[in-house]
Amino acid sequence: MNGVRIRRPWSYWWGNGAVYVSFLFFTFVVLLPVYWMVRSSLAPAADLIKIPLVYFPTPTLRNFITLVEQVPFLEYVRNSLIFALATTLVTLVVSFLAAYAFARIRFPGSSIIMWTLVLSMALPDVGTIVPLYRILSSLRLLDTIAGITLVLSSALAPFTVWVLVSFIKQVPYEIEEAAIIDGASLLQIFGRILVPVTKPALVTMGLINFINAWNNLLYPLSFTTSPSSKTLSVSITEIFAGYSPWGKPWELIMAVGVTMTIPMVILVLFSQRAIVRGLTGGAIK
Amino acid sequence: MQQTYAPGLVRAKGQPLLSSLSKAAQRRYVLFLLLIAPAFLLRITTAAYPILQTIYLSFTNLNLLKNTNEFIGLQNYPAVFNDYGVQEALSFTIMLVVSSTILELIVGMLVALLLNAAFVGRGFARTINLIPWAIPTIVAGYAFRWLLDDQFGLIPYWMNLISGTRMVAFIDPVSARIAVILVHVWKDAPFMAFIFLAGLQGVPLDLYEAARVDGANAWHRFWHITLPLVMPLTITMGLFRVVWSLGSFDLVYGLTQGGPGVATSVLALQVFREGIMFFKFGFASAISVVLLIVVAIVGAIGLWLFRRSEVSY
Repeated sequence: MNGVRIRRPWSYWWGNGAVYVSFLFFTFVVLLPVYWMVRSSLAPAADLIKIPLVYFPTPTLRNFITLVEQVPFLEYVRNSLIFALATTLVTLVVSFLAAYAFARIRFPGSSIIMWTLVLSMALPDVGTIVPLYRILSSLRLLDTIAGITLVLSSALAPFTVWVLVSFIKQVPYEIEEAAIIDGASLLQIFGRILVPVTKPALVTMGLINFINAWNNLLYPLSFTTSPSSKTLSVSITEIFAGYSPWGKPWELIMAVGVTMTIPMVILVLFSQRAIVRGLTGGAIK
Repeated sequence: MQQTYAPGLVRAKGQPLLSSLSKAAQRRYVLFLLLIAPAFLLRITTAAYPILQTIYLSFTNLNLLKNTNEFIGLQNYPAVFNDYGVQEALSFTIMLVVSSTILELIVGMLVALLLNAAFVGRGFARTINLIPWAIPTIVAGYAFRWLLDDQFGLIPYWMNLISGTRMVAFIDPVSARIAVILVHVWKDAPFMAFIFLAGLQGVPLDLYEAARVDGANAWHRFWHITLPLVMPLTITMGLFRVVWSLGSFDLVYGLTQGGPGVATSVLALQVFREGIMFFKFGFASAISVVLLIVVAIVGAIGLWLFRRSEVSY
């Protein structure tokens, strides 16, 4: 080689530069609140009111210990976990059954029935909380995890059905057909063929629904009153509301926030592909 | 070709339905009903029936604290529309929904273009894009409230370092509203970006090649190829986002609790306040009905827009 210099068009560097600047800006904007939350939860309370700001305080678990001491924190964690798991389970079972019916049993009018179900997800959750309060009360499900599980599962079902229907439709029917000809019962078809084959879709919707349930505020806030059924999302609002505007214990509030957020972030880090596939699967079709 | 389970349904005119069904077809019908029963049961008890109840309750003065429960016809509605809180909530709800959806569409598209570009770190970018979606909305609300705290929050602190001004976000109604809108965008635009990304990835590359050969520059390619092809998706997502954000509650509850005063209150918050906090069930139901009507109107407009947007190439 004899020193030939390649002249790159100006757009080569500028194009890449713009992309990288955008990338840095994007990363900063997305992660700033997360950093702030973590920093505030691991800082001694006194560090939070120091000027100039302490960006990297010496970490301490004091705030989390305070939480466990002063509120039924572990109970709240347990409740959130049970609520999220139960909701996920109920939603998946109910939606899978219905999705199978919509995907495999077609007749004139069956798609209208399906669209009625799916479009019901346009209903805002608040629109029905008043009657739901009375209904749950009369069913003695007020202030129970079972009650809020049923209500939220119902709210999450339409979207889950929508996604599962499009997944099941992509499964070739020949496998089931062969099984039917071989005399398999419906339960066997479900258990041996359908569930294993649609596992990616079930995992995806399971993750999405778990995250939705774990994050849910309105239903636990409206329908639970005692620590045996309140969730973390309710507890964070209580800590906030319990203090005057000038004395908010931000270190505690952020500690609860971190407890709620970090598990979700970890989940998302490990299953990004699956979740995105589920979230976009319904929309793109 | 997908098999259908109902071979016996094709029948001659005038023939009664059930007897023309083979036994297999009858069994399929029953199976269908059994399979959709749990889902429909849930929906009917927690959505369909409660909506009817809401409408009925809006015609009563049910109040658990005052122990009243009489049918009062339409009397709640003038009270609802004259209520200052509801008026402010209605106007801000619409303001929030319109501005945040427009911003989310734009920002979502920009982020999607970024995530579609080829650069080292793209996988990382795509992963952290899920964080705003994964973080609980109420936590995001509190996190930003603290981030924007006028005394010890990071952003006002930096604003002060840079420009010497004191930024007090939540005392002034206008800045509080802007804060709510922007945090809303932060929370939801990444999700839009994923949808757009999937759409962008579905555009055939040879369309771009052909355009490039014909001399179109990047902007041209975006405006005449990408945008029209992504438009149906945009409208669908815009529609969903608008309808969904009409019921937005958690963010406002955490960020401003509707304040200052009721400047950033939304309809959902008013329903919660009047209903779950003050137990004015009749009044709250009337507000709910107003919300449901707004949702229905917006939904209808959206469907009409959607019909008009089909693009073929």
